[in-house]
Amino acid sequence: MFRAEPLVKIRLHMLASEAADAALELARFGIYSPAQHASEQLSENPAAAYRETWMEAESRTSKLVERCGGLSRLTVPEGAEAPTLVDLEELNVWLKEVWNTCLAAYEGEVRIEEEIRHLDALQDTLGRLEHLNVDLAHLLRPDGLLAVNIGSLPAASVKRMGEALSMTGYVIYNFDTISDQVYAVIAGPRDRHDEVRGLLSQAGWRELPVPPELRTHPRTARAWLTEERKRVEEKNIAECAILDSLRGKYRAGLDEARLRVELGRPLAEAAVLGVRGRGALASLAGWIPRRHADELKEKLEHRFHGHYWLDVEEANKHEAATIPSLVHYPAWLTPFVPLVRSYGVPRYGEFDPTLPFAFTYLLLFGAMFGDVGHGAVIAFLAILFSGRLGRVAWLGIAAGAVSMLFGMFYGSVFGFEDVIQPVWISPMHDPIRMLSVAMVFGVGFIVLTLLVNAGNRLASGRVTEALFDSGGLAGLAFYIGATGGVASLAGASTLALPFWPLALAGIVTVAIYKWVETDAGFGERALVTTIETMETGINLFANTLSFVRVAAFSLNHVALALAVFTIANGLDATGHWLTILLGNVVIIVLEGGIVAIQALRLMYYEGFSRFFSGDGSEFVPLKLMDAK
Amino acid sequence: MSTYLNTRVSLFSSRLWQEEDFSALLETGHAEIAGVLAERGLPQLAAGFDSLDNRSLEQRIISQLLDETTVLIRPLAGSERNFLLYWTERFEIGNLKTLLRGKMTGERPAVLLTRLTPMGAFGRLDIQDLAHAEDVGELLRRLETSPYAEVVRPARRAFEESHDPFILDAALDRSYYEGLEHRAQPLEHAAGTSFRNLMGSLIDRINLVWLLRYRFNYNLPPAQVYFLLVASRYSLPSSQLRKLAALGSQREVLSALPESLRGLLDGVNEIPEVFARMEHSTVDSARKVLHAGAPAISRAFAYLILREHDLRAIRAVLRGRLLGLPAADIHMAMFHSGAGLT
Repeated sequence: MFRAEPLVKIRLHMLASEAADAALELARFGIYSPAQHASEQLSENPAAAYRETWMEAESRTSKLVERCGGLSRLTVPEGAEAPTLVDLEELNVWLKEVWNTCLAAYEGEVRIEEEIRHLDALQDTLGRLEHLNVDLAHLLRPDGLLAVNIGSLPAASVKRMGEALSMTGYVIYNFDTISDQVYAVIAGPRDRHDEVRGLLSQAGWRELPVPPELRTHPRTARAWLTEERKRVEEKNIAECAILDSLRGKYRAGLDEARLRVELGRPLAEAAVLGVRGRGALASLAGWIPRRHADELKEKLEHRFHGHYWLDVEEANKHEAATIPSLVHYPAWLTPFVPLVRSYGVPRYGEFDPTLPFAFTYLLLFGAMFGDVGHGAVIAFLAILFSGRLGRVAWLGIAAGAVSMLFGMFYGSVFGFEDVIQPVWISPMHDPIRMLSVAMVFGVGFIVLTLLVNAGNRLASGRVTEALFDSGGLAGLAFYIGATGGVASLAGASTLALPFWPLALAGIVTVAIYKWVETDAGFGERALVTTIETMETGINLFANTLSFVRVAAFSLNHVALALAVFTIANGLDATGHWLTILLGNVVIIVLEGGIVAIQALRLMYYEGFSRFFSGDGSEFVPLKLMDAK
Repeated sequence: MSTYLNTRVSLFSSRLWQEEDFSALLETGHAEIAGVLAERGLPQLAAGFDSLDNRSLEQRIISQLLDETTVLIRPLAGSERNFLLYWTERFEIGNLKTLLRGKMTGERPAVLLTRLTPMGAFGRLDIQDLAHAEDVGELLRRLETSPYAEVVRPARRAFEESHDPFILDAALDRSYYEGLEHRAQPLEHAAGTSFRNLMGSLIDRINLVWLLRYRFNYNLPPAQVYFLLVASRYSLPSSQLRKLAALGSQREVLSALPESLRGLLDGVNEIPEVFARMEHSTVDSARKVLHAGAPAISRAFAYLILREHDLRAIRAVLRGRLLGLPAADIHMAMFHSGAGLT
């Protein structure tokens, strides 16, 4: 739970012709994560063509499934074999054919939609031109000296278009705007129309064809439009029928294509990193949990009857950055995992902070939002909606319970401070003590994170960093020295003398380390060392102060409740209780949300940023998907 | 933060190359080139500098520029950060054009993907998804839901009407540079003349070269040429560009330029020469900004212009050497033609 499961690196060598089946077997095994293959002898990538063809097939299948919809759930049969490259190429040809057929039908549908929009536009245009009192037949006469275009162009181009047209003796007149399209009439001398044609294309001008039927009396034009609309609707029904028939015709084939694509997925995905080869030999590389190595051997033996070679190698500590992390969590801890993962994935061998995160996060939440009543409401709502929330409900229940616990410590129930006696402290009555406790907690928290960071560095073999860097033992010495020194100045005389020399020794060590580690010219080195050493001190100081917010929010909680009571006390009985009810809802939603975010922020920036590199990679096993 | 950026730019500026550095690179033995490049802070170019694959060299130059931009934008926020980020988007627009051309010629997605420049953290396009679009139409539709919608929308509309790749490219370029100018506007107020000079030099060059090329190489009509230019507010404002586009010959255009540009282009007859002189002038402006007490954002922008210029010059040297051209010819082409590098 605190560290990733020990992994071993495997290299599975087999005939290239069996690589797809081998990858499929590994995907069925379910706990194989492909890795970079570093063999110099195996310089070819025998699965590259397979992946390329598979990706085309997958892309087309996805598009077709998206368009067709209503397909059955995909189930991969137990003994099904992976498609060969030739199978995939044939499948690709078929898919392309189907896609082109479907695309034609789909584009027919799109064209109809465009026709409908076009008719709408014509109707609107007609309405507007009627108001302008323009005789369209006269305006659009083909033998006149004046060349006239009616159409639309993007609104952003209108100004520039007007300026460009003025160079040719043309004018532009806007008569309508729909969304970002401006409808306009462009007119000018017919003998210069050739100069304008290219400009119109460039500007994205879309001619609005005015059919002969519209170049007549408005009443006749309207009758034509009604007829035209009826015709388009009939065409639409016919196109829908074509699409339905295509869905029926290709459904079975498409199901088969989905299955083949799914069976080909393991090798295609493994090819990104873990497949190399030479001639007729192929080799798959990757990681599996050490405890499953024997089981894998049995499965491969059962499937390939000795026609393979399996190398199993222990993970090397120095390649920790490239080894994926596989961590198992108990069910109750899983709701906290996404909160940690949103910051980063622990490196292989690195301390996984999920368990301490869960406890500390809940502790901070409770300390900032301690109230028996509010906690009970949160827990009750989480239980009530547990069906919808799934495991996340547990997070709400735990947060509510901790809030109730701190509510008892603070003696607070729905903001009332006089219903129960505080078991520990009332924040409003002793704020200085609250602030001091928060600071001491912060110091303890930061010391712990620095220790974990030093441990992580040691575990990954970065001994000098663990000892001398700002996040290592030197930084820790500085921090303990500085906080002890400040505490003694603040009156804790028993903590006196040795702290300042300890702080000085720590910061000087950090500065020397930065100087040695910076690979640059003198100026840049001096700049980096000065800034980064100063940053060490400033950051630790600021991070400690950050914990003051724990006390501040506990005070804030009481202050908000007081504000609600003050408003409520000024109202009559109904108004009084209504205000208290609504005020409490606001406190739970608004302050509860803010506190949840603040607790997360403290964990990320004051905690994780100090010891958790989060630059590991997830153990992502090859798997077959039973997809809908 | 501006102090930090200024210090960073000053430290970076020591990496810029002088004429003697290029001469030394020309004289360096083949075996030592990788070492020289690595020593000068160009590890990306050092690895595989002798590859004949020009695209891979270009990709590594861009990668180097992106790495340095990452460092420079770290302390920036707001419009300054937006501007430098948008400046890097030129490279992704390049990818976008590669994708479009690939789709026009029916290239396979895997081949197409190898031709794209890796954008690292600056990448905003889902290139895997885009490379698998079936045709240009589908690609453009997908791009309209990408962060490049603003640049792509006018281009798609124009392309749908004409199906002309030139129109598509021209529309993309124009949209991009108008976006750049738009993002530069608040900085010109804040950072003052130095920044405005750099932008002016850049946009004036683009507009003048495009004008000459579209008008006299492609023989496009004046109105269309004007429409294709970037709406500008520098030495060549829109009203001036309209007048220039209406002129009948290259000589007339060059004679009708404002005094400052006329002096710069005195004696120039060919469009490549116009480009080279104006680029030279941009580099000069950038050098002045870099070494003057200009605001940090102006100095950072100037540095990026100069760095890119240097890297492309280094590429020219490496390519020249690989093609077996005599060192004297490469030197002559770089320092004594209109495209002088100093």
